[in-house]
Amino acid sequence: MAFIKKQAQPSTEQTQSTPETRDCQSLLKQLSSSDSTERRWAARDLVECPECANALMQRLKIETENSVREVILTTLTRMGDPVAIAGMVDCLRSEDAALRNEVVEAMKQLPLEVAPMMLGLLADPDPDVRIFAVNVLESLCHPEVESWLISVITDDAHVNVCATAVDLLGEVGSSNAIQTLEQLKARFSEEPYIQFAADLALRRINEN
Amino acid sequence: MKRILIVDDAATVRMYHRNILESAGYSVDEAMNGIEAIEKALQEAFDLYIVDVNMPKLDGYGFLRELRGENISQVPAIMVSTEAAENDQTAAYRAGANGYLVKPVKPVQLLTHVRLLIGETI
Repeated sequence: MAFIKKQAQPSTEQTQSTPETRDCQSLLKQLSSSDSTERRWAARDLVECPECANALMQRLKIETENSVREVILTTLTRMGDPVAIAGMVDCLRSEDAALRNEVVEAMKQLPLEVAPMMLGLLADPDPDVRIFAVNVLESLCHPEVESWLISVITDDAHVNVCATAVDLLGEVGSSNAIQTLEQLKARFSEEPYIQFAADLALRRINEN
Repeated sequence: MKRILIVDDAATVRMYHRNILESAGYSVDEAMNGIEAIEKALQEAFDLYIVDVNMPKLDGYGFLRELRGENISQVPAIMVSTEAAENDQTAAYRAGANGYLVKPVKPVQLLTHVRLLIGETI
């Protein structure tokens, strides 16, 4: 079990409330404290305990205090290990809209870790997960982003998944996307939004 | 002229809704998330809000709860979402929405809801 050393120059708040050393087991206990400040500090310091990623994920699903949720996600992002990433993906299926959005923003900070999972996410049976996956792509500086988006608008049957992908393709797309965008317009010829978004994307691509 | 605030993180969606609403004679302003929308709602009066569910910083539910709970504005709000399930619609109405539209929204759907909620003739 890892031990976390007290920082060399602790804040006043730390000096008043934290003990000299805090082992992972005691941090885990504090993560369930009724005091949100204790939970927040525990979540922050657990960054030194990668074996506790799953416990952080479980806490994230029930945590109601926004500031604690933010710290848990920051810690998981800093850990960036497979358990943390898998837990974030799991949260994309949550009924809690705020949690889903926070997780999307956190995943955007982990391009290298998230990229290997992207094909799986874009093929997920749940269209909402596929939409969130496209949202994550927005900030994923990865050479495959354009080809992933082209695959989405070619193959995905769900209009809102395609709509989300078209928005992004207008920003990152090249002439490689033109034919697929034209085909998308034909496939959803009765959807005014798709016509609007695809025309906008085509105009932007042609301007660049 | 009636003023409408569109709250959505997707720029293309904001442009699409703006085009429809301005063509119908409404004045439109935009916000990229719930926090920005709250700031705008505190500064000026709108006749209607069109609010996306999934946004960073503060989502649509959070925005409506704040808007209603803090009594910033009680004017009508339409929630717009990719999710058509009944529980999503119930959650929207509980948060303070007066209407619910599933994306992608067709112009006639949007204008019908807007006119109904603003109290104009359809």
